[in-house]
Amino acid sequence: MPASPRMPGAPRAGDAAPALALPDLDGTRVALDDLRGRPVLVSFLRHAG
Amino acid sequence: MKVRDRWERWQAIDAAALFVVFDDPDLIRRTMLDGVDPAELPFPVLVDRDRAHYDTWGLTRARRRDIWLDANVYRVYWRLLRAGERLRPGGTDVYQFGGDFVIAPDGTVAYARPQQRDDRPPVGELLRAASPG
Repeated sequence: MPASPRMPGAPRAGDAAPALALPDLDGTRVALDDLRGRPVLVSFLRHAG
Repeated sequence: MKVRDRWERWQAIDAAALFVVFDDPDLIRRTMLDGVDPAELPFPVLVDRDRAHYDTWGLTRARRRDIWLDANVYRVYWRLLRAGERLRPGGTDVYQFGGDFVIAPDGTVAYARPQQRDDRPPVGELLRAASPG
């Protein structure tokens, strides 16, 4: 069951995913759209350490 | 459950993963990756230095009390220290929250859990959200 989103501004279950396209650690651009057709975990991490 | 087991469960349902960080890539290599070559990872680690994507995905910064009055933070550090880990410098902003989202094959959000405290959802919860049917 999807968790209840509680943060204003965060996408909710059922919304279209916001765009995501960023460089990886080697500078290669990776986009969420490139993975369409498969489920994708998008995990935003906290600080390094 | 070890990271390898978790990742195998994730691969078993043909799911992909993207991990997003905001700290300097050199710091990420030294701390989170502990010297592992990113090319050897089965998933990309993406860098959002200005945190524009954190903002777009609704991920806010914690208040001081959200972190320092949260007993879970101390439990996590205690477990790490007991396991022989060293505490390391905490990157550029210890107050930035993260979050976990599962995106369905059609591009819609199947699961959303932006952080409100320093915790993460169980892997099983994410797997259920990503599994077909």
